[in-house]
Amino acid sequence: MKALYHGKTTKFAKYVVVALVIAILAMLVQSAFASHEYEIAAFLTVALIVIAIVYLTEISIPFKFLIPGALFLFAFVIGPIVYTVVMSTFQYQTGNYISKPEAILKVQALGVAPDKAGTTFDVLVGRNSANEYAILASDILTRRYFISSSTSKTELFPVDVEVNSDGIAQKGTGFTPLSGEERLASDQEFAEIRFIYNEPFFIKLEGSSLGAVNQRILEYKSDRDVFVNLQSGDVYSDSGQGNYVNEADKEEILQPGWRSPIWFSHYIDLFTNDKVRKPLIGVFIWTIIFAALTVLTQFSLGLLLALAMDRKIHGRRIYRSIFILPYAMPSVMSILIWGGMFNTEFGAINNLFGTDIAWFQSAIFARVAVIVVNLWLGFPYFYLITSGALQAIPSELSEAASIDGASPRQIFSKITLPLLMQIVSPLLVASFAFNFNNFNLIYLLTGGGPSSPLDGDIAGATDILISYTYKIAFGTNVQNLGLASAISVIIFIIIASISLYGIRKSKVLDSFS
Amino acid sequence: MSKWLRENLWRHVVGVLVSLFALFPLYLVIISSINPTGSLQITSFIPQEISFNNFAKLFNDPTIPYLTWMKNSLIIAGTVAILSVVVGASSAFAFSRLKFKGKRIGIQLLLLAQMFPALLALSAIYVIMERVYNFAPAMGLGTQPGLLLVYMGGAMGVNIWLLKGFVDSIPIELDEAAKVDGASAMQTYWLIFIPLAIPVLAVVSLLSFIGTFNEFILARLFLVDMDSRTIAVGLQGFIGGQYSQNWGPFAAGSIIASVPIVIIFLSLQKYIINGLTAGSVKG
Repeated sequence: MKALYHGKTTKFAKYVVVALVIAILAMLVQSAFASHEYEIAAFLTVALIVIAIVYLTEISIPFKFLIPGALFLFAFVIGPIVYTVVMSTFQYQTGNYISKPEAILKVQALGVAPDKAGTTFDVLVGRNSANEYAILASDILTRRYFISSSTSKTELFPVDVEVNSDGIAQKGTGFTPLSGEERLASDQEFAEIRFIYNEPFFIKLEGSSLGAVNQRILEYKSDRDVFVNLQSGDVYSDSGQGNYVNEADKEEILQPGWRSPIWFSHYIDLFTNDKVRKPLIGVFIWTIIFAALTVLTQFSLGLLLALAMDRKIHGRRIYRSIFILPYAMPSVMSILIWGGMFNTEFGAINNLFGTDIAWFQSAIFARVAVIVVNLWLGFPYFYLITSGALQAIPSELSEAASIDGASPRQIFSKITLPLLMQIVSPLLVASFAFNFNNFNLIYLLTGGGPSSPLDGDIAGATDILISYTYKIAFGTNVQNLGLASAISVIIFIIIASISLYGIRKSKVLDSFS
Repeated sequence: MSKWLRENLWRHVVGVLVSLFALFPLYLVIISSINPTGSLQITSFIPQEISFNNFAKLFNDPTIPYLTWMKNSLIIAGTVAILSVVVGASSAFAFSRLKFKGKRIGIQLLLLAQMFPALLALSAIYVIMERVYNFAPAMGLGTQPGLLLVYMGGAMGVNIWLLKGFVDSIPIELDEAAKVDGASAMQTYWLIFIPLAIPVLAVVSLLSFIGTFNEFILARLFLVDMDSRTIAVGLQGFIGGQYSQNWGPFAAGSIIASVPIVIIFLSLQKYIINGLTAGSVKG
């Protein structure tokens, strides 16, 4: 057996695995660099070096055990946490999604307009003598003809072209028209070519046989980092918020923008900007109420059951198996099932009680539904915990009290309950923290609704912070990853303090403090 | 009123009422799945006619790739369950038994990481994996390997934490005896720790399996293709907003998907409850 850990084969196998991992990482590093993903490339390089050092030398035995887990933690937990904090200091949303150099190119490409006279030419598409895609343009009034591609332009004399009855050139020296098939296949490419005309004017195809003279109207001046409108003379400068803004009219913004560092603007908005703050406060209050009511209802029912079952009654085992079932079901399935049961027209709840309640259309009923479903999902947990805790309380205490003449009610409220609370309070705190972020329940049951989208408000009556954050980040209209990250950071601070408080209570930290 | 009644009647009343509450949705799903009309509307709470149309539809209707979803879920959850425990166990062993610089900070970092819900870093994970897709399309956003990596990272914190708790409870005398006999750290790990830990490793990996099987939102963000979805995302998309039309097959599908999980859960009851009191909450 010992040979297995010192044998040559084992060592050889180890080197093969390490070499393989290093090779894969090296490949990834290389392609990450090639795609300009420098942060990721840097992380992978560090990982590669660490793996090589730890596994190919005998520097540290403990690190051989630690490294695989640590790398996963850094890559997918700690890395994203840091990235979330970084993103929260950026203007990062729909319209501000790309980098600044990319945005400049896009603005330039979009900043074109037809010339003032609206000049057009009849054109034929084909190739020029250099075999580039080109157009043969005809001005039938002045009988002017020329061949133009994206790199060159050649004027033709009327003798060099053959015209049809409308006066449009059909053939020209140094020009080969495209066949019908070629024409179809290259449609998209032709639409994007800027054919040379007189700078700053160029010709763009409109349809298959018309070329319109366009003008580049936005010019980027890299020395001043501004865009200038060549027609109006307006100057657009970097607003510091990730957009070029007209200096004369601050409302006029060039699209697209880029993700730009704005430091703590999102955090300041959270507290001062009414548009952001108002819905957030509403959602925050409901989140607290939701989590607190959930813990309260789940714990109360769980405790009631634990007390009822705290004696060997008939069928206790059967009861117990039934009570555990809701907890054993995959919660995603249970929530979807409850969603069907609360359906207004056909749902089993209205059917059973003979009511006609539109559960998910009314704020108050939707909230009741959310609490009821969560009670169903969670009471078994507290039943299991409290019945365990009840058994852990020594029976001598209540026996002694009863000899002293205490009533069962007094024993419960003066002895059992206080002891029980001491045992379960860290778990109550943990459950509060968990439900604070109970995204699945809200998202799958009500989708956060009902909401009134008319006010432009995306927060619904049952939205909790985490589902609201999700809507901000991945919603249908505007996706504001920067603001969502800022809210995530705030939630994390809240959750971390709650959890640390809970842990301190349960004294997990004792072992290494 | 006899003494028995006075002392036990209320217990049974509570027990029966809560049982009805607990069983009602489950009963409803079962009768919906065998309801021939497949409709959400239940005309009677006692089934009049039994049919397996809804089950047949799941396996035969090409617009519902149910078996593919199920296969995806089992493969993804299974891989995460095994790999995350293999990787997590060695880290837990190091944290619990070996001495190294920065151990204290490491443990505090681990504690912080394991209570951080992956959900909060959703935007960041999304953007990072979008960027990974730019240079490694096989493991970025929208791919199962990418999702698997994210799950592995997410499971790592909790798994290392749970396993560390277990290693802490193994008497250190065993290690010391082995050390006296000249065993290296590697040998202690493979010859003493692993054989002792196998039952716990199995429990933790089954817990990871349940957690991953149940995970919804990352899978939903990552897996857009109909055929790459997991069962949770697939069934949600299938039922989403159209309860009245697809209820029957959905009920059948959710029963089949739930049975293995319920069985695992019930057979591990004892261990799971021990884990629960250690402060972890099932998602």
